[in-house]
Amino acid sequence: MSARSGIVLCGGRSSRMGRAKAWLPWGGRPMLAHVVARLAEVVDDVVVVAAPGQVLPDVPARIVRDPHEGCGPLAGIREGLRHAAGDLCFVTATDAPHLTVAFVEAVLGEGRAAAPVIDGYVQVLSAAYPRAGADVAKTLLDSGRRRPLDLLEHFDYLPIPAERLPDIASVRGFNTPDEYLVAARADDARPVTVELMGRARARIGQPELEVPAGSLRDILGCVGTRVALIEGDLVAPPYAVSLEGRVFVRDLRIPIGPGEHVIVLDASVGG
Amino acid sequence: MYGFHGAYLRIDLTRDESTRIPLDPGVLRAHLGGVGLGAWLLDREAPVGVDPLAPEAPIVLAFSPLVGTPLTTSAKFAVVAKSPLTGMLSDGLSSSDFALAGKAMGVDAIVIVGRCAEPSIWRAGRLEATDQWGASAADTERALAGTGRVIAIGIAGENGVRFASLSNGGRHAGRGGIGAVMGAKRLKALVVAGDVATQLADPARVRAQALDLARRSLGEATAKYRELGTLANLPVFDRLGVLPTRNFQSGRFDGIARLVEGGLAAGHGSTRQSCARCTIGCEHRYAAADGSTARVEYESAFALGPLCGIDDPAAVVEAIGRCDALGLDTISAGGTIAFAMECGERGWLADGPRFGDARSLLASLDAIAARRGVGDLLAEGSRRAALRIGRGALAIAAQVKGLEMPGYEPRGLHAQALGFAVGTRGADHNRSSAYEIDFSEKADRLHGDSRTALLTIESEDRAALIDSLILCKFLRGAFADVYAESAELLEAVTGMDFSAAELRDLATRVVTLRKRFNVREGWKPADDSLPDRFFDEAVESPGAPTARLSRERLGEMIRAYYVARGWSPDGYPPLPREREDAVGAEADAAGRMQAESLRPEPLG
Repeated sequence: MSARSGIVLCGGRSSRMGRAKAWLPWGGRPMLAHVVARLAEVVDDVVVVAAPGQVLPDVPARIVRDPHEGCGPLAGIREGLRHAAGDLCFVTATDAPHLTVAFVEAVLGEGRAAAPVIDGYVQVLSAAYPRAGADVAKTLLDSGRRRPLDLLEHFDYLPIPAERLPDIASVRGFNTPDEYLVAARADDARPVTVELMGRARARIGQPELEVPAGSLRDILGCVGTRVALIEGDLVAPPYAVSLEGRVFVRDLRIPIGPGEHVIVLDASVGG
Repeated sequence: MYGFHGAYLRIDLTRDESTRIPLDPGVLRAHLGGVGLGAWLLDREAPVGVDPLAPEAPIVLAFSPLVGTPLTTSAKFAVVAKSPLTGMLSDGLSSSDFALAGKAMGVDAIVIVGRCAEPSIWRAGRLEATDQWGASAADTERALAGTGRVIAIGIAGENGVRFASLSNGGRHAGRGGIGAVMGAKRLKALVVAGDVATQLADPARVRAQALDLARRSLGEATAKYRELGTLANLPVFDRLGVLPTRNFQSGRFDGIARLVEGGLAAGHGSTRQSCARCTIGCEHRYAAADGSTARVEYESAFALGPLCGIDDPAAVVEAIGRCDALGLDTISAGGTIAFAMECGERGWLADGPRFGDARSLLASLDAIAARRGVGDLLAEGSRRAALRIGRGALAIAAQVKGLEMPGYEPRGLHAQALGFAVGTRGADHNRSSAYEIDFSEKADRLHGDSRTALLTIESEDRAALIDSLILCKFLRGAFADVYAESAELLEAVTGMDFSAAELRDLATRVVTLRKRFNVREGWKPADDSLPDRFFDEAVESPGAPTARLSRERLGEMIRAYYVARGWSPDGYPPLPREREDAVGAEADAAGRMQAESLRPEPLG
C-alpha cells in the first residue's frame, strides 16, 4: 500500500464560534490535537494547514501556513497537498471530533479521489485527494475557481454513498457555540472549573467553583451576584477572564467546553 | 499664569545660589509637567556626555499644572536625571506633600546642580551643614519636620549605590539610582515650603471636575487597589506563570502558598493609607517580624521574595523596610541580589547570598548600602557586576540598559518584553504599562507581533500623558477617553484650549524627547534588547507547553515599533522638529531661545 497522509485545515476564522476551533476542548485535549491523533492512527503523516501567525496547540504534525487568506478551503487543500508525503490524502476540517478510524479507512480505501455523499451533499472536507492535485489546485485558483469540488471533479472522483460508509457522523462539524456545546456536553460530562482570584475570591469567599459547560455568560452567571462580572455582551471592565491561564477573553458568547479552567481576576494588574 | 508659575528654581550647590528662571508658556504647554517638563529640563541643563555623578549633572524635580488643584491624585512630581545605573534618562514619579510644598514655592520645577562643599541640606534658599549624614532618610525627615516638606537620601545614596532611592514622606523614587546622584552632590536633603497658590482659570469648573473625579476614583475601576493593593498580583502572576522566581529561572514559585497565606495575603492584616490629595488609598502596610511595618507593594514583595527564593513573609516585609531605611530601590536591590545568588550557585561568586536564605538577603542589603565586601560589587548593579564577574554572567543578569527588571516575566508577557526592550529608562514597567496589553484579549501574550507593537505604542503614549499631567496611573481605568478628559481638566485649570489631538501629539513628543536624550548620550540599537537568558531558555507556562521569546519575534516587534513611531528602522528618531507638529516645534524653539536669552533672577 502506498503512503497516505492526513491534512487538517484549521486556518478558518471561527468568527461565528468566537474563539479558535483548534483550541476548543474535546475529550480533555484541544480539538486539533484530538483530530490529529485520530488521523495519525490511519495515515503515515499528518499535515496541519494554518493561517499565518495562527497560534496552535502543540500537536505531532507538520504545520504549514497558508498565505492565501480569504481564498477558501481549496487554497488550504493545495498547501496541504504540497507538503504531504503520501500519494493519497484524507482532508478534514479541524472541527471534526467525531471522525473515526473506520471512516477514514473506508474513504482512503477507495485508493483514488473519493468523497462521501450524504443527504445529497458531496463532503469535500471529508474526502480523499491525490497529492498530484496540488498543481491542479493552483491552476484552478489562478483561474478564479475556488471550489474543492472542482479539484475532485478534475480527478473524476468517486462519490461514496452514505450507506457504504461506517460512522457517517464523522463528517459532522459545528460552526456556532450552541452546536459545539450540544455535541461537547453529550460527549463529556466534566464540569468547567472557575478559579476566582483577587476581589472575586474575596467577595465569593472560595477559591473555585465547578459549573456545567456553557457559554462564558452562563459560566460567569453561575458565580453569583456578589461580583458584577457581566456588562452587556462583555466581561465587565474591572475584571479579566483567562482560559487556562493562556489567553484572555471578553466576549460572553463564546463557548467554554467540558474540563476547561476559567480564571477570573482583577483587570487592574499593574503595580 | 493659571496652573503654571512660569518658572523653575535652579539650585547651584557649588555656589550656594538659587535662581528663579522663567519658562516660556509655549514650553510649558508643549510639555506640561512631570516626565515631560522633566525631560525637557534635563535635556537643556545636562551637558552632553556628563557623568551622572559629576557636579554638573542635574536632578530635576518637576511638578505639573494640576499640582495644587483639588483634583484627586494630583499631588505628584517627577524625578528626572541621567541615571548612574544606565547612563541614560531616568524618570520616576513620587507623590504627596512634597509636590504641594515644592510647587507652592512658586515654581513649576526645581533643578539641582553642583556639589556641596560638605554634607548639607538645602532649606529656605540656603545650604546648611548637616549632622544627618549617615542617618536614614526617614530619620532625616523627622529631624527636619516642621520646617517644610523633605526629600532625602539614606546611606545608600551617600555611598553612591547605583540604585539608591530618594525618599519623601515614606514614599520612594527608587528606580535608576537618582539617590546616588544626590549623594554625589553631598546633599542629604532638600526642604521645601511656600505659600504661592496654584491659580485656577475656572475655579468652579475645577471644583466640579474634582468632585466628579473623586467619585469615579471610588468606583470599581480602582477597587482592587483600595481593597487589596498591588500585592494581590503575587498569586495571580504565579498562577499565570509570569511571577519571576529565583532570578528569572522560573515563572512559578513553589513557596507562594507559604508567602501569601503566611502573612502576605492582599488586604489581610494590613492597614491602609493614602497620599496627599488622593481618594484611592492604595497603600497597604504590613507587619514585619520585629513589630515594625512597611508599605508593601507587589514589586517590592516579588523582588525580595520569589525572585530571591524567599517564602518567609515576615522576612520579605523586613527586607522591604530595610531597603526603605537604607534608601535602596527594592526592585534593583532584589534583582541584583538574586543575580548574585545564582552566580553563587554556579560557583562564579564566593561569599554571596543564597536563594531562600533570608538572613543572607538582609545582610546583603546592609553590605550593599555600606559598600562592604561583596556589597561593593553589588552596589554597582547587576550589569556592571556581571561584566566584572565575566564567565557569561551577563546572560543571566536580568536587566535592560542596566536597570533591573520588575516583576513581569517577559517570556510570558511579550508586550511587556517589548516595553522593557525599547524603554528609554531600561527595564521599566511604568513608563509603558505594556503589561496591560498582555493581560487583555487585545493580544496574545505568548505570541507578540507587529500588532502588539502598535498597542504598546498606544499604551506608552497614554502613560506619557498621565505622567506629564501628572495623575496617578491607578486612576486610568476611571477615564473613558483619557485624552479628551485630560484636555477638559487642563483647560479648566490653565485656561488654555487644549484638545485631545494636541495631547496625543504631546505624549508622542515626550516619548521622542526621552529617546533623543538617550541618543545624544550614546544609545545604540543593541541597547534595545533583553539578556540572552530570555531567548535561550523557556519557562513553564500554564495552558501552553512553554513560554518562549525568540530573538526574531522580539526583533519583529521592535522593528514594527520603530516604524510606527516614524523612527529609522534601527531606532533613531528623526532630527528634532521633522515630525513634530507646528505648535510643539515652535513652542520648543521659542522656549529654548527665550530661556537662553533670559538672565536668571536671584530668588526672593
